[in-house]
Amino acid sequence: MSLPALTLALQAAQLSSRELSSCDLLDAVLGAHAGRGDEANAVVGLRAEAARAEAVEADERLTRGEPLSRIDGIPVLIKDNMVQRGEETTCASRILEGFVSPYDSAAVTCLREAGAVIVGRSNMDEFAMGSSTENSIHGPSRNPWDLERSPGGSSGGAAASVASGLVAGALGSDTGGSIRQPAAFCGVVGMKPTYGRVSRWGLVAFASSLDQIGPLARTAEDAAILLGILAGHDPRDSTSLAEPVPDYCSALDGDVRGLRIGIPKEFFEAEGADPVVLEVVREAIAELERAGAKTLAVTLPHTPYAIAAYYLIATAEASSNLARYDGARYGHRSKKARTLSEMYTLSRSEGFGTEVKRRILLGTYVLSAGYYDAYYRKAQQVRTLLRSDFEKAFEVCDVIATPTSPEVAFRIGEKSDDPLKMYLSDIYTVSANLAGIPGISIPAGFAHELPVGLQVLGRSLDEATLLRAADTFQRRTDHHAQTPRGWLR
Amino acid sequence: MIEETLERWEPVIGLEVHTHLATKSKLFSPAPVEYGDAPNHRVHVIDLGLPGVLPVLNERVVELAIRLGIAVHAEVNLRSVFARKNYFYPDLPKGYQISQYEDPVVSNGWLDIELPGDDGQLETRRIGITRAHLEEDAGKSIHDDAVTKGRGTHVDLNRSGVPLLEIVSEPDLRSASEAGAYLRALRSILRTIGVSEADMEKGQFRCDANVSLRAIGTEPFGTRTELKNLNSFRYVEAAIEAEIERQGEILDEGGSIVQATMAFDPDTQTTRVLRTKENADDYRYFPDPDLIPLLIPADEVERVRREMPELPDAKLARFVGDFGLGQADARQFTESQELAEYFDRVVARTGAERAKEVAKWILRDLLQALKQLDLSLEASALTPDKLAALLELVEKGRLTPRNARDLFALLVEHGGDPESLMVERGLEAVSDEGALEVAVQEAIDANPKAAESYRAGDQKSLNFLMGQVMKKTQGKADAGTTRKLLAAKLGG
Repeated sequence: MSLPALTLALQAAQLSSRELSSCDLLDAVLGAHAGRGDEANAVVGLRAEAARAEAVEADERLTRGEPLSRIDGIPVLIKDNMVQRGEETTCASRILEGFVSPYDSAAVTCLREAGAVIVGRSNMDEFAMGSSTENSIHGPSRNPWDLERSPGGSSGGAAASVASGLVAGALGSDTGGSIRQPAAFCGVVGMKPTYGRVSRWGLVAFASSLDQIGPLARTAEDAAILLGILAGHDPRDSTSLAEPVPDYCSALDGDVRGLRIGIPKEFFEAEGADPVVLEVVREAIAELERAGAKTLAVTLPHTPYAIAAYYLIATAEASSNLARYDGARYGHRSKKARTLSEMYTLSRSEGFGTEVKRRILLGTYVLSAGYYDAYYRKAQQVRTLLRSDFEKAFEVCDVIATPTSPEVAFRIGEKSDDPLKMYLSDIYTVSANLAGIPGISIPAGFAHELPVGLQVLGRSLDEATLLRAADTFQRRTDHHAQTPRGWLR
Repeated sequence: MIEETLERWEPVIGLEVHTHLATKSKLFSPAPVEYGDAPNHRVHVIDLGLPGVLPVLNERVVELAIRLGIAVHAEVNLRSVFARKNYFYPDLPKGYQISQYEDPVVSNGWLDIELPGDDGQLETRRIGITRAHLEEDAGKSIHDDAVTKGRGTHVDLNRSGVPLLEIVSEPDLRSASEAGAYLRALRSILRTIGVSEADMEKGQFRCDANVSLRAIGTEPFGTRTELKNLNSFRYVEAAIEAEIERQGEILDEGGSIVQATMAFDPDTQTTRVLRTKENADDYRYFPDPDLIPLLIPADEVERVRREMPELPDAKLARFVGDFGLGQADARQFTESQELAEYFDRVVARTGAERAKEVAKWILRDLLQALKQLDLSLEASALTPDKLAALLELVEKGRLTPRNARDLFALLVEHGGDPESLMVERGLEAVSDEGALEVAVQEAIDANPKAAESYRAGDQKSLNFLMGQVMKKTQGKADAGTTRKLLAAKLGG
C-alpha cells in the first residue's frame, strides 16, 4: 500500500508514532502527482515549496510531541473556490485570472490551525456550476475508475484525488450535490454538513443559501475527523450556527441497532434511474438492516419539484453573487473595452464560460420585475414545503437512505450538450441543500464496474448519526477499500 | 412664472432622505467611518466585495433605527429583512447594494412641520412618513479631471458600506417651502436623538424629491418625476420650484409629463431629464441570503423608548409652556441640542422664573461673544454654572446689569470665578447709601437744569441724573438705591 493510500486515521497514527514524517507523506503526494496524478487532472495548483515548509514545521511539532491536532502534518487539498492568503483562487474561471486573495477563508484557517499541510487546490466546475468538472478553464477532471468518464462535480477534482490515493482527505463544497455526487462517482465518502455548520467565510459564493463546505475522504472516520476540524460557529458568517460541535469520532461505535431508516419511494421511482444502481443501493440498505437497523417507507411528496426549485433559487442567487466580477477591481478585464459598458459586457463575456453564463441569464430572468412572483417566490414556497416534508419524515425515522445519483459516472462529453439532462443528474441531492439538512454519500458497491453511492440524509445538526451509520456500513463491507486499477494502491 | 403655475396646479411632493448613521464602523464591515481620509484608506475586504466575503450587521444601527422610529411616531417592525438591490456601477463593488425592500425596519410614521400661513400666523402641517429602511452607501466615482488627470474615472471606496437610513415621506408636501421645513424638522430630530450628524456638506444628509402636479381641486396624482441628489437645503427648494415650473409649462401647453429621473442645474436654476422610465434599471430585489432577518425584541424597543432624549417638539412645548419663552427663542434652542442643554443647565440653577432672562443672555450675548471670539460653545470658558453664578450676583444686587455685561465678556474669553473676578476688578455694585450720597449730590449740583425739570414733573430727567451717577461710579451704583436717593434729594 502506498503511503498516500493510507487513510487519514492511519496516517495520523503513524505520524504520531513517528513511523512516518509529514515530509514522507508530502513526498508521496508529490511523487504520485508527478506519476499518474496528472491523468485525472484533479489538481490545479500544487504548492510544493510552501507545503514543504509547512511539513517541516509539522514534523518539528510532532517530534516535540506537541501536535496541533490529529491531522497535524497530513497533506490535504482544498477546492479552488476557498481563498487562501497570498495564493491564487480561480474557481476554474477565466474571470478570476490572476486573482490572489489577501485573506484566508475560514476553512483554510481551520486547516492551518490544525496543522494540516495544504498541498494544493483541486479542480472543479467553474464557480461550482456543474455536475461533471468539465466546465473548467483547467480542462476536465477524469474519473480514476475510467479516465473516459467524469468524476462528477463540481468537486470532481477533490473526489478524483481521494479515489486515486493522491490524498486521504480533501475539502469540497456542495450547493446541490457537489460533494456527494462526485464522491459516489469516484467511490469515496463525501459529506455535506447541515447548512451553517461550517463557515462560508472565504468560500467564493455560488448560491449563498445552499453552499456548504464539507469533507471528502475514504472512510466515514476520516470524514468525521475532518468535519470536527471544520465545524463550528464563525461570527464572520451570519448564517453560521452557534450550536456546540459534538465529538464526531466518539459517535462511531459501530452500533446501528434500532436505527430507523426511512425509504422515500419518490427517490426509488424516479424516471430514468438505472435499475442496476437502484439494486446496489437496496442491497446496501439491506446490509444496514442486517446490522440491526429498521427500515420503513416514508414519503417526501414535493420531491418532483425539487430540481425546478433548486435551479430557480440557485441561479437567482448566482446571478447576484457573480455581479462583482465586472473587470473593475480584480480578475479579467477585456483589453478591447473602451467604455464602461464595454468593460462590463466584454470582460464578462470573455471571462465566464457557457454554463456560468446560462445560469446568470436564468437567474437574472427569474428575479426580473414581473417574473419574481412566478419563479423566485414560488420556488421559495416549494422550498418551505420540502423542508416540512423532511420534518414530517424525521418524526418517524432517524435517517433517510437513497441513491446519491440515478446512475454511475457518465462519459465525459456525454451530457455537456444537454444541460437539462445534466441538471437531472442532481435529482437525489438537491433536496438536502434546499432543506438545509446534512447528507453523506458512501461507497455502496458497484454497477457496470463503476462505484455506486448510498446517500444517507439526517436531521439538522445530526451529522453524528449519519457518520455512525456510514462507519457501521464500512465496518461490514469493503467497497471503500476497492481501488481503481492501475492507481497507487 | 411659478405664481401663475400655482394658480392652476397644485404640487404634490414626497421626499426621500438618505442620512448617514452616527456609528464608528460600517454597516456590514469593521472598517471605521471617518470623513476626509485619503481615498480607499477606510476599506475592509468586505467593502471591496472580494470573492468569499460575507456581511455581518453592525448591531449599533439597530438602536439608531429604533430611535428614529420612535421619534417619528412610527411602527418599529420587530422583523425586517435585508435585500439586495442589483445594479452595475464601478463604485458598487459587489454589483448590488444591501438595502431593505419588502420589510423595512420602520413604517407608518409622521412629523409635524410649522409654516407661516396666509395671515402670517404659524400653521402646523402633519407630514406622513411611509417608511425608513437601513442600507449601505456606495463608494464615490470621481470624474474630475483635476483628480484623474484625464485618465478615466477614479473610485474611492471609503464611503462604501457606510450605514444609511433612507427615510421616505408620503406625498404630503405641497410646496418647496414645505419641503424645506420638513427637511429642517427631520434634521433637527436626527441630531437631537443622536442618530445622525446630518451634515449636508459632508454628504451625510442627501435628498431626492418626487414632484408631480395636479389640477387644483382634483384628487388623482399626476405623473411624477424624481429629482436626484439635491445636496443643499437651498438646492432642494430651488430644484422643486424649477421642476414645478417645468411641469406647469408642459401641462399648460396640453402636454403630458413623462416619468423620469431629473437633475437640477444650480447655474441655470433648471431641471433636465437624466433618464426616462423606459431606461430605468430593474433592480431585481431579493432577500439577501447572506444575512438573516433582523429580529428586534419588543423589550428592546421599550428600553430605547425609555432612554430617548427629549424630542424637539416636546422641548419646544416645555420652553414655551414652563419657561415662558417666545416661539422664536424656543425654536432657536430646539435646533441645537448643545445650546438647549446649556440653557437647561443654567435654568436648573436660576429657576424657571428667570428663564427668559437666561435665554436673552445666551441667545444674544453669549452667541455674539462666541462669534466675535470665534469659539464654539464647548470651548467657551463660561460654563452654565458660571453664567448662573453671574446672574445670581445681578439678582442679589451685587452686580449692576451694565457691569455684568463687562464681567460676562471677561468670563467668556478668560474664564475664572465670577464673584472673585468681580471683586478683583472692582466691579461690585455700591448700594451703601452713605457712599452713594456724595455722587448723587454731585450729579444734582452739576445738572441744575435736569433737577429743575424733574421737580417740574419730567420723569425722564430722573433717568438722565441716574446715568450721571452711574458714570461717576463706573457703573457700580445700585440702581434702586440711587433712584431712592435722587428722589429724596430732589424732594420728590
